[in-house]
Amino acid sequence: MAMINVEKLKKQFDDKDVVKGLSFSLAPGKCVALLGPNGAGKTTTLRLLSGLLKPSSGSIQFEGINQTADIRAHIGYLPQYPIFHEWMTGKEFLVYVGQLAKLSKTEASERADQLLEKVGIAEAKHRRTGKYSGGMKQRLGIAQAMIHKPALIMLDEPVSSLDPIGRREVLTLMEELKQDTTILFSTHILSDAEEISDDLLLMHQGQIVESGSIRELQNKYQTDKIHVAFQVKADTYLDKLQALPSITEAGRGRTGRNSVTSRRYWPGPCTNYAVSCG
Amino acid sequence: MEIAEVLPILAPLFLLEAILAIVAIISWFKTDETNGPKWMWLLIILLISIIGPILFFVIGRRQR
Amino acid sequence: MQWTTIFKKEMLEYARNYSWIWVPIVFIILAIMDPLTTYYLPKILDTVGGLPEGATFDIPQPPPAQALYMSLSEFSMFGVVIVVLITMGTIAGERQSGVAELVLVKPVGYFTYISSKWAAKLLLIWSSYIVGMLASWYYVNLLFGEIAFTTVVQVILFYGLWLTLVTTITIFFNTLVKTPLLVGFLSIAVMIAMSVVNSVFSHRLIWFPNNLSSYILQMMDTGTIPTDLWATALIIIGLIVVLLVAALFTFRTREMAN
Repeated sequence: MAMINVEKLKKQFDDKDVVKGLSFSLAPGKCVALLGPNGAGKTTTLRLLSGLLKPSSGSIQFEGINQTADIRAHIGYLPQYPIFHEWMTGKEFLVYVGQLAKLSKTEASERADQLLEKVGIAEAKHRRTGKYSGGMKQRLGIAQAMIHKPALIMLDEPVSSLDPIGRREVLTLMEELKQDTTILFSTHILSDAEEISDDLLLMHQGQIVESGSIRELQNKYQTDKIHVAFQVKADTYLDKLQALPSITEAGRGRTGRNSVTSRRYWPGPCTNYAVSCG
Repeated sequence: MEIAEVLPILAPLFLLEAILAIVAIISWFKTDETNGPKWMWLLIILLISIIGPILFFVIGRRQR
Repeated sequence: MQWTTIFKKEMLEYARNYSWIWVPIVFIILAIMDPLTTYYLPKILDTVGGLPEGATFDIPQPPPAQALYMSLSEFSMFGVVIVVLITMGTIAGERQSGVAELVLVKPVGYFTYISSKWAAKLLLIWSSYIVGMLASWYYVNLLFGEIAFTTVVQVILFYGLWLTLVTTITIFFNTLVKTPLLVGFLSIAVMIAMSVVNSVFSHRLIWFPNNLSSYILQMMDTGTIPTDLWATALIIIGLIVVLLVAALFTFRTREMAN
Protein backbone atom coordinates (compact mmCIF):
# COMPACT_ATOMS: atom_id res chain seq x y z
CA MET A 1 0.00 0.00 0.00
CA ALA A 2 1.30 3.41 -0.86
CA MET A 3 1.08 6.43 1.36
CA ILE A 4 1.38 9.02 -1.36
CA ASN A 5 0.66 8.62 -5.01
CA VAL A 6 2.08 11.27 -7.25
CA GLU A 7 0.92 11.26 -10.82
CA LYS A 8 2.21 13.23 -13.77
CA LEU A 9 3.18 16.08 -11.52
CA LYS A 10 4.34 19.08 -13.49
CA LYS A 11 5.55 22.51 -12.53
CA GLN A 12 6.45 25.42 -14.75
CA PHE A 13 8.00 28.72 -13.78
CA ASP A 14 7.65 31.32 -16.53
CA ASP A 15 7.68 28.78 -19.36
CA LYS A 16 10.51 26.88 -17.78
CA ASP A 17 9.63 23.28 -17.00
CA VAL A 18 11.22 22.54 -13.67
CA VAL A 19 9.31 19.39 -12.89
CA LYS A 20 8.30 17.45 -15.99
CA GLY A 21 5.72 14.87 -15.12
CA LEU A 22 6.73 12.95 -12.04
CA SER A 23 4.94 9.76 -11.12
CA PHE A 24 5.92 7.81 -8.08
CA SER A 25 4.55 6.51 -4.85
CA LEU A 26 5.96 6.35 -1.37
CA ALA A 27 5.41 3.40 0.92
CA PRO A 28 4.73 4.12 4.59
CA GLY A 29 7.56 3.63 7.05
CA LYS A 30 10.28 3.96 4.46
CA CYS A 31 13.10 6.43 4.27
CA VAL A 32 13.35 7.60 0.71
CA ALA A 33 16.11 9.68 -0.81
CA LEU A 34 15.38 12.02 -3.67
CA LEU A 35 18.76 12.03 -5.29
CA GLY A 36 19.91 14.27 -8.07
CA PRO A 37 22.33 17.02 -9.02
CA ASN A 38 21.66 20.67 -8.23
CA GLY A 39 18.96 22.04 -10.48
CA ALA A 40 17.29 18.66 -10.97
CA GLY A 41 14.04 19.97 -9.45
CA LYS A 42 14.30 18.32 -6.03
CA THR A 43 13.41 21.40 -3.99
CA THR A 44 10.50 22.21 -6.29
CA THR A 45 9.22 18.65 -5.95
CA LEU A 46 9.31 18.82 -2.15
CA ARG A 47 7.62 22.22 -2.14
CA LEU A 48 4.89 20.86 -4.41
CA LEU A 49 4.32 17.93 -2.05
CA SER A 50 4.23 20.23 0.98
CA GLY A 51 1.66 22.52 -0.61
CA LEU A 52 3.97 25.55 -0.70
CA LEU A 53 3.79 25.51 -4.48
CA LYS A 54 0.84 24.70 -6.63
CA PRO A 55 1.30 22.08 -9.37
CA SER A 56 0.86 23.23 -12.96
CA SER A 57 -0.77 19.86 -13.58
CA GLY A 58 -0.89 16.38 -12.16
CA SER A 59 -2.02 15.11 -8.80
CA ILE A 60 -0.71 14.36 -5.36
CA GLN A 61 -2.92 11.94 -3.49
CA PHE A 62 -2.39 11.07 0.14
CA GLU A 63 -3.78 7.64 0.94
CA GLY A 64 -6.69 7.70 3.34
CA ILE A 65 -6.96 11.46 3.32
CA ASN A 66 -9.82 13.22 1.65
CA GLN A 67 -8.65 15.05 -1.44
CA THR A 68 -10.18 18.29 -0.22
CA ALA A 69 -8.72 18.00 3.30
CA ASP A 70 -5.70 20.03 4.36
CA ILE A 71 -2.75 17.74 3.72
CA ARG A 72 -0.50 20.10 5.63
CA ALA A 73 -1.74 18.56 8.88
CA HIS A 74 -0.05 15.29 7.94
CA ILE A 75 3.29 16.47 6.72
CA GLY A 76 6.31 18.12 8.21
CA TYR A 77 8.70 20.09 6.05
CA LEU A 78 12.22 21.35 6.50
CA PRO A 79 13.44 23.83 3.88
CA GLN A 80 17.08 23.76 2.85
CA TYR A 81 17.78 26.97 4.77
CA PRO A 82 15.20 27.19 7.56
CA ILE A 83 14.54 30.76 8.70
CA PHE A 84 13.06 31.45 12.11
CA HIS A 85 11.86 34.58 13.84
CA GLU A 86 15.20 35.48 15.30
CA TRP A 87 13.69 37.33 18.23
CA MET A 88 12.01 34.12 19.40
CA THR A 89 13.71 31.43 21.45
CA GLY A 90 13.90 27.92 20.05
CA LYS A 91 11.27 26.72 22.49
CA GLU A 92 8.94 29.63 21.74
CA PHE A 93 9.17 28.96 18.04
CA LEU A 94 8.36 25.27 18.45
CA VAL A 95 5.38 26.03 20.68
CA TYR A 96 4.21 28.63 18.16
CA VAL A 97 4.28 26.32 15.13
CA GLY A 98 2.97 23.47 17.29
CA GLN A 99 -0.10 25.51 18.10
CA LEU A 100 -0.43 26.42 14.43
CA ALA A 101 -0.51 22.68 13.79
CA LYS A 102 -3.51 22.53 16.11
CA LEU A 103 -1.84 21.26 19.26
CA SER A 104 -3.01 22.79 22.53
CA LYS A 105 -0.53 25.05 24.27
CA THR A 106 0.35 22.40 26.88
CA GLU A 107 0.68 19.68 24.26
CA ALA A 108 2.85 21.90 22.11
CA SER A 109 5.03 22.81 25.07
CA GLU A 110 5.55 19.18 26.15
CA ARG A 111 6.20 18.08 22.61
CA ALA A 112 8.65 20.96 22.13
CA ASP A 113 10.63 19.90 25.20
CA GLN A 114 10.77 16.28 24.04
CA LEU A 115 11.91 17.24 20.56
CA LEU A 116 14.49 19.75 21.76
CA GLU A 117 15.92 16.93 23.84
CA LYS A 118 15.79 14.52 20.93
CA VAL A 119 17.50 16.79 18.43
CA GLY A 120 20.08 17.71 21.04
CA ILE A 121 19.57 21.44 21.53
CA ALA A 122 17.71 21.31 24.84
CA GLU A 123 20.35 23.46 26.54
CA ALA A 124 19.79 26.25 23.98
CA LYS A 125 16.02 26.27 24.10
CA HIS A 126 15.76 29.61 25.90
CA ARG A 127 18.22 31.31 23.60
CA ARG A 128 17.10 33.46 20.69
CA THR A 129 17.23 31.58 17.38
CA GLY A 130 19.14 34.53 15.94
CA LYS A 131 22.10 33.30 18.00
CA TYR A 132 21.91 29.69 16.76
CA SER A 133 24.63 28.14 14.62
CA GLY A 134 23.83 26.51 11.28
CA GLY A 135 23.74 23.04 12.79
CA MET A 136 21.45 24.15 15.61
CA LYS A 137 19.09 25.78 13.12
CA GLN A 138 19.00 22.56 11.13
CA ARG A 139 18.08 20.62 14.28
CA LEU A 140 15.46 23.12 15.29
CA GLY A 141 14.20 22.84 11.74
CA ILE A 142 13.85 19.08 12.08
CA ALA A 143 12.10 19.53 15.43
CA GLN A 144 9.56 21.96 13.95
CA ALA A 145 8.87 19.51 11.14
CA MET A 146 8.16 16.77 13.71
CA ILE A 147 6.13 18.84 16.18
CA HIS A 148 2.69 17.60 15.15
CA LYS A 149 3.73 13.96 14.63
CA PRO A 150 3.18 14.05 10.89
CA ALA A 151 2.85 10.83 8.92
CA LEU A 152 5.47 12.08 6.48
CA ILE A 153 8.38 14.41 6.94
CA MET A 154 10.18 15.98 4.05
CA LEU A 155 13.68 17.33 4.46
CA ASP A 156 15.33 19.41 1.77
CA GLU A 157 19.09 18.80 1.72
CA PRO A 158 19.15 18.30 5.49
CA VAL A 159 22.89 17.74 5.75
CA SER A 160 24.51 19.44 2.80
CA SER A 161 25.12 22.77 4.51
CA LEU A 162 26.61 21.22 7.63
CA ASP A 163 30.18 20.58 8.64
CA PRO A 164 31.28 16.92 8.95
CA ILE A 165 30.39 16.68 12.64
CA GLY A 166 26.99 18.31 12.26
CA ARG A 167 26.37 16.15 9.23
CA ARG A 168 27.12 12.96 11.12
CA GLU A 169 24.86 14.04 14.00
CA VAL A 170 21.93 14.88 11.76
CA LEU A 171 22.29 11.61 9.85
CA THR A 172 22.23 9.70 13.12
CA LEU A 173 19.16 11.68 14.13
CA MET A 174 17.43 10.80 10.86
CA GLU A 175 18.30 7.16 11.45
CA GLU A 176 16.35 7.41 14.72
CA LEU A 177 13.44 9.28 13.17
CA LYS A 178 13.08 6.51 10.59
CA GLN A 179 11.63 4.32 13.30
CA ASP A 180 8.64 6.61 13.86
CA THR A 181 7.78 8.16 10.55
CA THR A 182 8.13 8.11 6.80
CA ILE A 183 10.93 10.32 5.57
CA LEU A 184 11.51 11.80 2.14
CA PHE A 185 14.71 13.75 1.88
CA SER A 186 16.58 15.30 -0.98
CA THR A 187 20.30 15.16 -1.43
CA HIS A 188 22.89 15.43 -4.14
CA ILE A 189 25.31 13.18 -2.34
CA LEU A 190 25.05 9.49 -3.14
CA SER A 191 26.75 8.29 0.00
CA ASP A 192 24.22 10.10 2.21
CA ALA A 193 21.42 8.47 0.28
CA GLU A 194 23.02 5.06 0.51
CA GLU A 195 23.69 5.44 4.17
CA ILE A 196 20.22 5.99 5.54
CA SER A 197 17.63 5.48 2.86
CA ASP A 198 15.72 2.34 1.99
CA ASP A 199 14.61 3.56 -1.40
CA LEU A 200 15.98 5.94 -3.96
CA LEU A 201 14.29 8.24 -6.40
CA LEU A 202 16.81 9.43 -8.91
CA MET A 203 15.96 12.76 -10.35
CA HIS A 204 17.51 14.48 -13.33
CA GLN A 205 16.29 17.52 -15.24
CA GLY A 206 12.85 17.43 -13.74
CA GLN A 207 12.25 13.75 -14.20
CA ILE A 208 12.53 10.60 -12.18
CA VAL A 209 14.98 8.56 -14.17
CA GLU A 210 15.22 5.58 -11.88
CA SER A 211 13.67 4.38 -8.67
CA GLY A 212 13.70 1.40 -6.41
CA SER A 213 15.37 0.09 -3.32
CA ILE A 214 19.08 0.54 -2.99
CA ARG A 215 19.58 -3.21 -3.33
CA GLU A 216 17.46 -3.44 -6.48
CA LEU A 217 19.35 -0.62 -8.08
CA GLN A 218 22.65 -2.12 -7.12
CA ASN A 219 21.66 -5.45 -8.60
CA LYS A 220 20.44 -3.82 -11.72
CA TYR A 221 23.46 -1.73 -12.42
CA GLN A 222 26.14 -3.47 -10.52
CA THR A 223 29.21 -4.36 -12.47
CA ASP A 224 32.32 -5.74 -11.01
CA LYS A 225 35.05 -3.42 -10.15
CA ILE A 226 38.42 -4.92 -10.09
CA HIS A 227 41.12 -3.35 -8.12
CA VAL A 228 44.53 -4.51 -9.07
CA ALA A 229 47.69 -3.59 -7.29
CA PHE A 230 51.02 -3.86 -8.96
CA GLN A 231 54.49 -4.10 -7.61
CA VAL A 232 55.71 -1.85 -10.37
CA LYS A 233 54.42 1.32 -11.95
CA ALA A 234 50.86 0.54 -12.94
CA ASP A 235 50.48 2.94 -15.83
CA THR A 236 52.11 0.57 -18.25
CA TYR A 237 49.32 -1.93 -17.71
CA LEU A 238 46.50 0.49 -18.17
CA ASP A 239 46.17 0.06 -21.90
CA LYS A 240 46.34 -3.67 -21.62
CA LEU A 241 43.56 -3.73 -19.05
CA GLN A 242 41.47 -1.42 -21.15
CA ALA A 243 41.83 -3.75 -24.09
CA LEU A 244 40.44 -6.73 -22.18
CA PRO A 245 36.88 -7.71 -23.08
CA SER A 246 34.04 -6.41 -20.86
CA ILE A 247 36.18 -3.79 -19.22
CA THR A 248 34.53 -0.48 -19.89
CA GLU A 249 36.86 1.79 -18.16
CA ALA A 250 40.17 1.60 -16.48
CA GLY A 251 41.98 4.24 -14.57
CA ARG A 252 44.37 4.84 -11.81
CA GLY A 253 42.66 4.53 -8.46
CA ARG A 254 43.02 6.74 -5.48
CA THR A 255 45.27 4.31 -3.72
CA GLY A 256 48.41 5.22 -5.58
CA ARG A 257 50.46 4.94 -8.63
CA ASN A 258 50.87 1.23 -8.39
CA SER A 259 47.22 0.32 -8.59
CA VAL A 260 44.62 0.34 -11.29
CA THR A 261 40.87 0.33 -10.92
CA SER A 262 38.49 -0.58 -13.64
CA ARG A 263 34.78 -0.05 -13.41
CA ARG A 264 31.61 0.96 -15.12
CA TYR A 265 29.61 4.05 -14.53
CA TRP A 266 25.89 4.22 -14.17
CA PRO A 267 24.30 4.62 -17.56
CA GLY A 268 22.18 7.39 -18.89
CA PRO A 269 21.99 10.85 -17.46
CA CYS A 270 23.24 9.76 -14.07
CA THR A 271 26.87 9.61 -14.92
CA ASN A 272 27.65 11.94 -12.06
CA TYR A 273 27.07 9.10 -9.65
CA ALA A 274 29.88 6.72 -9.77
CA VAL A 275 28.84 3.48 -8.27
CA SER A 276 31.35 1.27 -6.73
CA CYS A 277 30.63 -2.24 -5.75
CA GLY A 278 33.14 -4.14 -3.81
CA MET B 1 5.98 85.44 29.07
CA GLU B 2 9.13 83.83 30.39
CA ILE B 3 10.85 80.63 29.28
CA ALA B 4 10.23 79.35 32.76
CA GLU B 5 6.50 79.58 32.18
CA VAL B 6 6.64 77.78 28.84
CA LEU B 7 8.89 75.01 29.98
CA PRO B 8 6.55 72.98 32.24
CA ILE B 9 4.05 72.62 29.43
CA LEU B 10 6.58 71.94 26.71
CA ALA B 11 8.55 69.59 28.96
CA PRO B 12 6.44 66.49 28.14
CA LEU B 13 7.29 66.96 24.47
CA PHE B 14 11.01 66.98 25.20
CA LEU B 15 10.61 64.06 27.59
CA LEU B 16 8.85 61.98 24.92
CA GLU B 17 11.58 62.82 22.41
CA ALA B 18 14.17 61.74 24.93
CA ILE B 19 12.41 58.44 25.69
CA LEU B 20 12.11 57.77 21.97
CA ALA B 21 15.83 58.31 21.49
CA ILE B 22 16.75 56.23 24.54
CA VAL B 23 14.58 53.28 23.48
CA ALA B 24 16.07 53.52 19.98
CA ILE B 25 19.58 53.43 21.45
CA ILE B 26 18.72 50.38 23.59
CA SER B 27 17.34 48.65 20.52
CA TRP B 28 20.39 49.75 18.51
CA PHE B 29 22.65 48.30 21.15
CA LYS B 30 20.86 44.94 21.18
CA THR B 31 20.45 44.59 17.46
CA ASP B 32 22.84 42.21 15.69
CA GLU B 33 22.36 43.43 12.18
CA THR B 34 21.45 46.81 10.76
CA ASN B 35 20.80 47.85 7.20
CA GLY B 36 24.00 49.73 6.54
CA PRO B 37 26.82 50.46 9.00
CA LYS B 38 25.78 50.19 12.61
CA TRP B 39 27.61 53.34 13.78
CA MET B 40 25.82 55.35 11.11
CA TRP B 41 22.49 54.47 12.70
CA LEU B 42 23.70 55.67 16.08
CA LEU B 43 24.48 59.04 14.52
CA ILE B 44 21.08 59.14 12.84
CA ILE B 45 19.31 58.36 16.12
CA LEU B 46 21.29 60.99 18.03
CA LEU B 47 21.40 63.76 15.47
CA ILE B 48 17.95 63.73 13.88
CA SER B 49 15.38 64.24 16.58
CA ILE B 50 12.18 62.17 16.41
CA ILE B 51 12.64 61.18 12.76
CA GLY B 52 16.02 59.53 13.39
CA PRO B 53 14.71 57.02 15.95
CA ILE B 54 11.61 56.34 13.82
CA LEU B 55 13.78 55.63 10.77
CA PHE B 56 15.92 53.30 12.83
CA PHE B 57 12.88 51.41 14.16
CA VAL B 58 11.27 50.90 10.77
CA ILE B 59 14.15 50.50 8.34
CA GLY B 60 17.35 50.42 10.36
CA ARG B 61 16.87 47.10 12.07
CA ARG B 62 17.01 43.89 10.15
CA GLN B 63 14.14 41.95 11.59
CA ARG B 64 12.86 38.52 10.87
CA MET C 1 -7.01 28.42 18.39
CA GLN C 2 -4.68 29.35 15.55
CA TRP C 3 -6.03 32.87 15.22
CA THR C 4 -5.14 33.78 18.79
CA THR C 5 -1.80 31.98 18.45
CA ILE C 6 -0.74 34.29 15.62
CA PHE C 7 -2.32 37.31 17.31
CA LYS C 8 -0.42 36.64 20.54
CA LYS C 9 2.81 36.03 18.64
CA GLU C 10 2.37 39.45 17.02
CA MET C 11 1.79 41.04 20.44
CA LEU C 12 4.96 39.43 21.75
CA GLU C 13 6.83 40.65 18.69
CA TYR C 14 5.65 44.25 19.25
CA ALA C 15 6.84 44.00 22.83
CA ARG C 16 10.25 42.57 21.87
CA ASN C 17 10.86 45.09 19.10
CA TYR C 18 9.71 48.03 21.25
CA SER C 19 6.73 48.85 19.03
CA TRP C 20 4.56 49.13 22.12
CA ILE C 21 6.80 51.96 23.30
CA TRP C 22 7.78 53.89 20.21
CA VAL C 23 4.55 53.85 18.21
CA PRO C 24 2.43 55.40 21.00
CA ILE C 25 5.15 57.98 21.68
CA VAL C 26 5.26 58.98 18.03
CA PHE C 27 1.48 59.30 17.92
CA ILE C 28 1.47 61.45 21.05
CA ILE C 29 4.18 63.70 19.64
CA LEU C 30 2.30 64.05 16.34
CA ALA C 31 -0.95 64.82 18.15
CA ILE C 32 0.30 67.46 20.56
CA MET C 33 2.94 69.14 18.44
CA ASP C 34 0.67 71.44 16.44
CA PRO C 35 -1.66 72.56 19.23
CA LEU C 36 1.39 73.29 21.42
CA THR C 37 3.38 75.20 18.82
CA THR C 38 0.32 77.14 17.70
CA TYR C 39 -0.29 78.25 21.23
CA TYR C 40 3.28 79.00 22.16
CA LEU C 41 4.80 80.24 18.94
CA PRO C 42 3.72 83.87 19.34
CA LYS C 43 4.80 83.81 22.96
CA ILE C 44 8.12 82.18 22.20
CA LEU C 45 8.82 84.63 19.41
CA ASP C 46 7.91 87.36 21.79
CA THR C 47 10.43 86.14 24.33
CA VAL C 48 13.36 85.32 22.11
CA GLY C 49 12.54 87.08 18.89
CA GLY C 50 14.14 90.41 19.73
CA LEU C 51 11.32 92.37 18.18
CA PRO C 52 11.48 96.14 18.16
CA GLU C 53 10.12 97.80 21.24
CA GLY C 54 6.37 98.09 21.17
CA ALA C 55 5.77 95.59 18.33
CA THR C 56 3.39 92.84 19.34
CA PHE C 57 2.09 89.77 17.65
CA ASP C 58 -1.57 89.63 17.17
CA ILE C 59 -2.25 86.14 16.03
CA PRO C 60 -5.75 85.07 16.95
CA GLN C 61 -5.85 81.73 18.77
CA PRO C 62 -7.98 79.12 16.97
CA PRO C 63 -11.14 77.79 18.61
CA PRO C 64 -10.76 74.47 20.50
CA ALA C 65 -12.32 72.36 17.72
CA GLN C 66 -9.82 73.79 15.23
CA ALA C 67 -6.97 73.05 17.61
CA LEU C 68 -8.04 69.41 18.04
CA TYR C 69 -8.43 69.15 14.28
CA MET C 70 -4.73 70.00 13.92
CA SER C 71 -3.94 66.60 15.43
CA LEU C 72 -6.03 64.90 12.76
CA SER C 73 -4.19 66.86 10.07
CA GLU C 74 -0.87 65.61 11.42
CA PHE C 75 -2.19 62.05 11.47
CA SER C 76 -3.40 62.43 7.89
CA MET C 77 0.13 63.28 6.83
CA PHE C 78 2.68 61.66 9.11
CA GLY C 79 0.36 59.29 10.97
CA VAL C 80 -0.52 57.61 7.68
CA VAL C 81 3.17 57.26 6.79
CA ILE C 82 3.89 55.67 10.17
CA VAL C 83 0.96 53.27 9.75
CA VAL C 84 2.21 52.23 6.31
CA LEU C 85 5.80 51.87 7.54
CA ILE C 86 4.91 49.60 10.44
CA THR C 87 2.46 47.52 8.41
CA MET C 88 4.36 47.09 5.14
CA GLY C 89 6.39 44.12 6.32
CA THR C 90 3.88 42.22 8.39
CA ILE C 91 3.21 39.55 5.76
CA ALA C 92 5.57 40.51 2.94
CA GLY C 93 8.52 40.51 5.34
CA GLU C 94 7.77 36.98 6.51
CA ARG C 95 7.48 35.80 2.93
CA GLN C 96 10.64 37.59 1.88
CA SER C 97 12.74 36.27 4.74
CA GLY C 98 11.39 32.74 4.40
CA VAL C 99 9.75 32.37 7.84
CA ALA C 100 6.41 32.09 6.05
CA GLU C 101 7.66 28.85 4.56
CA LEU C 102 7.73 27.32 8.03
CA VAL C 103 4.49 28.94 9.18
CA LEU C 104 2.38 28.23 6.13
CA VAL C 105 3.33 24.56 5.78
CA LYS C 106 1.41 24.14 8.99
CA PRO C 107 -2.34 23.77 8.51
CA VAL C 108 -3.07 27.49 8.95
CA GLY C 109 -5.99 28.99 7.06
CA TYR C 110 -4.93 31.88 4.89
CA PHE C 111 -7.71 34.06 6.20
CA THR C 112 -6.69 33.23 9.76
CA TYR C 113 -3.16 34.32 8.92
CA ILE C 114 -4.19 37.57 7.22
CA SER C 115 -6.94 38.61 9.61
CA SER C 116 -4.99 37.91 12.79
CA LYS C 117 -2.12 40.02 11.53
CA TRP C 118 -4.53 42.74 10.46
CA ALA C 119 -6.20 42.75 13.86
CA ALA C 120 -2.88 42.80 15.70
CA LYS C 121 -1.66 45.83 13.72
CA LEU C 122 -4.97 47.58 14.32
CA LEU C 123 -4.70 47.04 18.06
CA LEU C 124 -1.25 48.62 18.08
CA ILE C 125 -2.31 51.48 15.82
CA TRP C 126 -5.63 52.20 17.56
CA SER C 127 -4.03 52.15 21.02
CA SER C 128 -1.32 54.55 19.93
CA TYR C 129 -3.77 56.77 18.14
CA ILE C 130 -6.19 56.90 21.08
CA VAL C 131 -3.39 57.77 23.48
CA GLY C 132 -2.29 60.51 21.08
CA MET C 133 -5.78 61.95 20.75
CA LEU C 134 -6.33 61.94 24.50
CA ALA C 135 -3.05 63.80 24.98
CA SER C 136 -4.11 66.32 22.37
CA TRP C 137 -7.51 66.71 24.03
CA TYR C 138 -5.78 67.38 27.35
CA TYR C 139 -3.69 70.20 25.89
CA VAL C 140 -6.57 71.66 23.89
CA ASN C 141 -8.67 71.81 27.05
CA LEU C 142 -5.81 73.39 28.90
CA LEU C 143 -4.78 75.95 26.30
CA PHE C 144 -7.69 76.65 23.98
CA GLY C 145 -10.90 75.84 25.77
CA GLU C 146 -13.16 72.98 26.59
CA ILE C 147 -14.23 70.18 24.27
CA ALA C 148 -16.78 67.67 25.59
CA PHE C 149 -15.51 64.15 26.23
CA THR C 150 -18.29 62.66 24.08
CA THR C 151 -17.19 64.83 21.17
CA VAL C 152 -13.64 63.58 21.49
CA VAL C 153 -14.87 59.98 21.58
CA GLN C 154 -16.88 60.58 18.41
CA VAL C 155 -13.90 62.18 16.71
CA ILE C 156 -11.66 59.27 17.72
CA LEU C 157 -14.09 56.63 16.50
CA PHE C 158 -14.78 58.27 13.16
CA TYR C 159 -11.23 59.25 12.32
CA GLY C 160 -10.00 55.82 13.45
CA LEU C 161 -11.80 54.42 10.42
CA TRP C 162 -9.40 56.33 8.21
CA LEU C 163 -6.35 54.79 9.89
CA THR C 164 -8.07 51.39 9.67
CA LEU C 165 -8.53 51.89 5.94
CA VAL C 166 -4.86 52.78 5.53
CA THR C 167 -3.86 49.68 7.49
CA THR C 168 -6.12 47.50 5.37
CA ILE C 169 -4.78 48.93 2.10
CA THR C 170 -1.25 48.14 3.29
CA ILE C 171 -2.29 44.62 4.35
CA PHE C 172 -3.82 44.13 0.92
CA PHE C 173 -0.56 45.02 -0.82
CA ASN C 174 1.24 42.72 1.60
CA THR C 175 -0.61 39.82 0.00
CA LEU C 176 0.11 41.06 -3.51
CA VAL C 177 3.87 41.56 -3.47
CA LYS C 178 6.53 40.25 -1.18
CA THR C 179 8.96 43.14 -0.88
CA PRO C 180 8.09 45.32 2.13
CA LEU C 181 9.47 48.47 0.49
CA LEU C 182 7.34 47.87 -2.59
CA VAL C 183 4.32 47.32 -0.35
CA GLY C 184 5.02 50.66 1.30
CA PHE C 185 5.52 52.39 -2.03
CA LEU C 186 2.28 51.02 -3.51
CA SER C 187 0.27 51.89 -0.39
CA ILE C 188 1.56 55.46 -0.32
CA ALA C 189 0.94 55.75 -4.09
CA VAL C 190 -2.67 54.71 -3.55
CA MET C 191 -3.06 57.25 -0.74
CA ILE C 192 -1.69 59.99 -2.98
CA ALA C 193 -3.91 58.91 -5.88
CA MET C 194 -6.93 59.01 -3.59
CA SER C 195 -6.20 62.53 -2.43
CA VAL C 196 -5.69 63.67 -6.03
CA VAL C 197 -8.98 62.10 -7.07
CA ASN C 198 -10.62 63.73 -4.09
CA SER C 199 -9.29 67.19 -4.84
CA VAL C 200 -10.37 66.94 -8.47
CA PHE C 201 -13.81 65.47 -7.96
CA SER C 202 -14.61 66.48 -4.40
CA HIS C 203 -17.82 68.29 -5.35
CA ARG C 204 -19.13 65.18 -7.09
CA LEU C 205 -17.81 62.41 -4.87
CA ILE C 206 -19.22 63.80 -1.69
CA TRP C 207 -18.83 60.54 0.25
CA PHE C 208 -15.28 59.83 -0.91
CA PRO C 209 -13.21 58.48 2.02
CA ASN C 210 -10.85 61.48 1.99
CA ASN C 211 -13.73 63.78 2.92
CA LEU C 212 -14.00 62.08 6.31
CA SER C 213 -12.03 64.65 8.29
CA SER C 214 -13.85 67.67 6.88
CA TYR C 215 -17.15 66.11 8.02
CA ILE C 216 -15.57 65.41 11.39
CA LEU C 217 -14.69 69.10 11.66
CA GLN C 218 -18.25 69.92 10.68
CA MET C 219 -19.47 67.59 13.41
CA MET C 220 -17.34 69.37 16.00
CA ASP C 221 -18.62 72.76 14.85
CA THR C 222 -22.30 71.87 14.76
CA GLY C 223 -22.40 69.40 17.61
CA THR C 224 -24.41 66.90 15.56
CA ILE C 225 -23.27 64.07 13.33
CA PRO C 226 -23.87 65.06 9.70
CA THR C 227 -25.52 62.47 7.44
CA ASP C 228 -22.59 62.81 5.07
CA LEU C 229 -20.29 61.66 7.85
CA TRP C 230 -22.34 58.52 8.41
CA ALA C 231 -22.40 57.82 4.68
CA THR C 232 -18.66 58.36 4.27
CA ALA C 233 -17.98 56.16 7.31
CA LEU C 234 -20.13 53.38 5.88
CA ILE C 235 -18.32 53.58 2.56
CA ILE C 236 -14.99 53.31 4.35
CA ILE C 237 -16.20 50.27 6.31
CA GLY C 238 -17.40 48.73 3.05
CA LEU C 239 -14.00 49.35 1.44
CA ILE C 240 -12.24 47.75 4.40
CA VAL C 241 -14.34 44.60 4.07
CA VAL C 242 -13.83 44.46 0.30
CA LEU C 243 -10.07 44.91 0.68
CA LEU C 244 -9.85 42.15 3.29
CA VAL C 245 -11.74 39.73 1.06
CA ALA C 246 -9.60 40.78 -1.91
CA ALA C 247 -6.49 40.20 0.20
CA LEU C 248 -7.66 36.67 0.91
CA PHE C 249 -8.19 35.96 -2.77
CA THR C 250 -4.86 37.36 -3.90
CA PHE C 251 -3.10 35.51 -1.11
CA ARG C 252 -4.69 32.22 -2.14
CA THR C 253 -3.25 32.53 -5.62
CA ARG C 254 0.22 33.36 -4.27
CA GLU C 255 2.81 30.69 -3.91
CA MET C 256 4.47 30.68 -0.54
CA ALA C 257 7.86 29.78 -1.89
CA ASN C 258 9.70 30.46 -5.09
